Amino acid sequence: MNDRLKDNLRGCAWRAAVCFVCGLTAFSARADNEDLSAREERAMRAAVERVAPSVVAIETIGGRQRAGQAIVGAGPTTGLIISTDGYIVSSAFDFSPKPASIVVRLPGGARVPAQLVATDHNRMLVLLKVEAEAALPTPEAVPESEVRIGQWAIAVGRTFDGGQPNVSVGIVSALDRVWGKAVQSDAKISPNNYGGPLVDIRGRVLGVLAPLSPTKGAEATSVEWYDSGIGFAVPMGQILQIFPRLKAGEDLKPGLMGVSLAGRDMYADAPVIASCRPNSPAYKAGIKAGDKIVQLAGRDIVRQSQMMYELNRRYAGDPVKVAVLRGEKRLEFDLELVDHLDPYQRPFFGILPRRDPVEEPDGVLVRYVYPDSPAAKAGVQPGDKVVAAAGKPVKDRYELVEIAAAIEFGQNTAMEIVRGDERIKFDAIWSTEPETVPAELPPAITEREAFADERPAVGSFSVKVPEFKNDALAYVPADYDPRLRYAVLTWFASSGDFKDEDVLARWKAHCDRRGLILLAPKPAEQGKWQKSDLEFAAKALDQLRAVYQTDSLRVAVGGHEIGGALAYAMAFAHRGQLRGVAAIDAPLAETPPENDPVYRLDFYVTRAKGSKSAPAIEAALKALGERKYAVCIRDQGEQGRELNDEELGELLRWLDTLDKF
Amino acid sequence: MYQQRSAIGRLASPSARTGRLRLGALAALLCFGAAQQQAQASPSFAAVVRGVQPKIVKIYGAGGFRGLEPYQSGFLISPEGHVLTVWSYVLDTEFITVTLDDGRKFEAKLLGADPRLELALLKIEAADLPYFDLAQAAAAETGTRVLAFSNLFGVATGDEPASVQHGSVAVKSRLEARRGVFETPYRGDVYVLDAMTNNPGAAGGALTDRQGRLLGMLGKELRNSLNGAWLNYAVPTEALAPTVAEIRSGKFVARSPDADQDRPEHALSADVLGLVLVPDVLDRTPPYIDRIRSGSPAAKAGLRPDDLVVFVNNQLVQSCQTLTAEIERIDRADRVRLTVLRDQKLVEAELEAERSNP
Repeated sequence: MNDRLKDNLRGCAWRAAVCFVCGLTAFSARADNEDLSAREERAMRAAVERVAPSVVAIETIGGRQRAGQAIVGAGPTTGLIISTDGYIVSSAFDFSPKPASIVVRLPGGARVPAQLVATDHNRMLVLLKVEAEAALPTPEAVPESEVRIGQWAIAVGRTFDGGQPNVSVGIVSALDRVWGKAVQSDAKISPNNYGGPLVDIRGRVLGVLAPLSPTKGAEATSVEWYDSGIGFAVPMGQILQIFPRLKAGEDLKPGLMGVSLAGRDMYADAPVIASCRPNSPAYKAGIKAGDKIVQLAGRDIVRQSQMMYELNRRYAGDPVKVAVLRGEKRLEFDLELVDHLDPYQRPFFGILPRRDPVEEPDGVLVRYVYPDSPAAKAGVQPGDKVVAAAGKPVKDRYELVEIAAAIEFGQNTAMEIVRGDERIKFDAIWSTEPETVPAELPPAITEREAFADERPAVGSFSVKVPEFKNDALAYVPADYDPRLRYAVLTWFASSGDFKDEDVLARWKAHCDRRGLILLAPKPAEQGKWQKSDLEFAAKALDQLRAVYQTDSLRVAVGGHEIGGALAYAMAFAHRGQLRGVAAIDAPLAETPPENDPVYRLDFYVTRAKGSKSAPAIEAALKALGERKYAVCIRDQGEQGRELNDEELGELLRWLDTLDKF
Repeated sequence: MYQQRSAIGRLASPSARTGRLRLGALAALLCFGAAQQQAQASPSFAAVVRGVQPKIVKIYGAGGFRGLEPYQSGFLISPEGHVLTVWSYVLDTEFITVTLDDGRKFEAKLLGADPRLELALLKIEAADLPYFDLAQAAAAETGTRVLAFSNLFGVATGDEPASVQHGSVAVKSRLEARRGVFETPYRGDVYVLDAMTNNPGAAGGALTDRQGRLLGMLGKELRNSLNGAWLNYAVPTEALAPTVAEIRSGKFVARSPDADQDRPEHALSADVLGLVLVPDVLDRTPPYIDRIRSGSPAAKAGLRPDDLVVFVNNQLVQSCQTLTAEIERIDRADRVRLTVLRDQKLVEAELEAERSNP
């Protein structure tokens, strides 16, 4: 047995002993364990000593601080020298607040100013440059193919006083994590070592520690995961690959192709394109809605997740070869990913559909025609049935969403309706969505006999979710009929301190009259909304929707003041579920996501000149406008306040029109 | 209880909390397992753990509301029942209970406490107890494998042994220099650990090396105000031993923690030096020099408008606010070394305030 193999075996025994109880026996049975333990400790120290000359401490001076409770990277952070002439890689953690100045403390103790050369927004790294008088020491990298799950991984930072490196010992937990961008380790990875190296037992670099998020998209740092036993390092091989681009001063951004996919489950559904964003790389290359992606960058693709894996690793500017199936025909396209897409604007035909339950629907029955809309201009009347759009047969409202997603704004679209016995075909140019809510709406369903069979609880009740301290007040219309589908509104009160009877007094009659299910969550800590309350609200909504028949096109969330800010946050975090946001005198705390053809999202926003949130509300309206969302704006005049009866009526009608086309 | 903790917002996020929690659970598992394995494991971790656990005690006292757990950890440092622990609200009661590893319960007397070191010495009436000898403390360095013994989250009760966690010393470093980063009166070296040792109830526990020799005492929960990360640490034995000896011999005089302990009588100011900074309008306004008063110490030292002050006496200053605070810690009689950034070069300047103008 050679020495290296022996080392490996001992390493394994050690790890088992450290990690699990059952290992203790195996470990203690070894006669030489004391010796082994000491030797291993020495090996680790040697590994740290070997890489330490390349590990620098970085200080930032000045810079914008993020607001709220977000963790701010203001402390010292760590960097890794990757070239003898002074290029240093660090994580983007400490650099998001845009520091005025950066000072690097070299391992010898010398302090030198550094320039920020470029940022990698996909892997959350930055490249710095210092002027060095002598050649700087660079570390050795482990070839990516040699990295094995279970091998030692030591995280090295330099953020504590005195300038010595700080270490955390763990193992390589997984490879190819975060869409292939990272090695995962259970060493404690935190702001104390972000930007520093993850090294093997020989002091060779496995990767650079970065606050990557396995769940959020690119560009979202995920400091929440710090010290959790789940940490990530960007493999050195990938860093060296992008080094020339960063060195040239190129900021690297996630690469976008410009397609929306149909379906909901990215681990099960095939990547069938629901729509191509106009002027996107996919659009320009000639990819069309309905195409199924079968190969991307040389890899065969069956599920959407495989496509994401290939795409998320790439940058804007990267070329990608895409093969699609259009019907039976295989087509190949070459396209270049971009960092920015023109915002999507949802085209509007001008009708509201009826919502009578139909056993075998064969079209969408028109309930209401918007004045001056393309539909009105084409002479569409209430009672007409839309049976085809853009050359595709329309069965029901849900299908029409998918078809409408592929319709282009301002383009001629073939429509087909049935009126009595007559089939009428015409072309219409779908245009902009209305900014106002119709003052009166005809009923969406025909009156029917009360439902006589067994049905779930109606009226007001409390909703609890296991693991959460919160509860929520729910109200289901007294005449709830499981043959129909109901709108759901999750409502966050401004303070979270509300009396059930007050809420019911305000909403109950409306819920009964309009077939609306209300969910009013309460905070876990009385009177104080927190982020975790959103999770509760989302789960409570899921529970409610599992029991009651709800209309997925009319599930909305709203709130007053801080409650409205929560509504925004909940809608952005749960786009798959929510179709509307009502923000009453409420600020928007985050950047809204891009508008999306499939995950429709409409807004009802109130503004008031003298509101304390006025600047934030105007900023929100601007941000939503830039992303071409359909926003219904209600001016409350001088002072921001809760909705009055007239405004509440308007809000309810807005909710009633979320399924407009 | 845990949810209550996370709900009062002391944590970065629920996910991080879960992470900390799970480790606690694992640690508990490890300790019960260790007890079962003890028969076969002589020169091993298990043996070490077995030797140390009888020296660890569970302490119960005040608290029990709003996320303040009414318990903490401690360890025996004499055969006749001296218990070393952290000074905290838990001890702020006349009824302090100490439960030994064998389940015996004692009422404890508070012999003394040093708020500056955050230590307290308790005494129970017992004899022939296993103990750590503070005079024979070991030392550790970066990378040293360590064991942390404590009753974190209060999982052990009665005669259940304390929980054991395993980790390494991340670094031995001072808490002092970055003022205001950590909310603790303690200024001195700590062993920073890479295991989640500092959880509710863990404070006062023992940190040992692989041989079970005492390295230090686990500190309270502490969060880095600069980067928001929780710190896991222990105060080295050598920092505690002299005060413990003083308390035991009755010679200890309590000194209250003084926030202004390092504030001089005649504090320096930017104005005295002739420095006018840019208006402080942001959260972290970079400390650029706006103007220099002619003939002032700053002018004599060659400082110029638009210089960015980066260090004061080698202390990093990240904003106008921290610059002002740092300068106010210096006595007017002392020289000040400013490091400024000018044209992407660091320039050193030494300033001396006018003595004639105190």
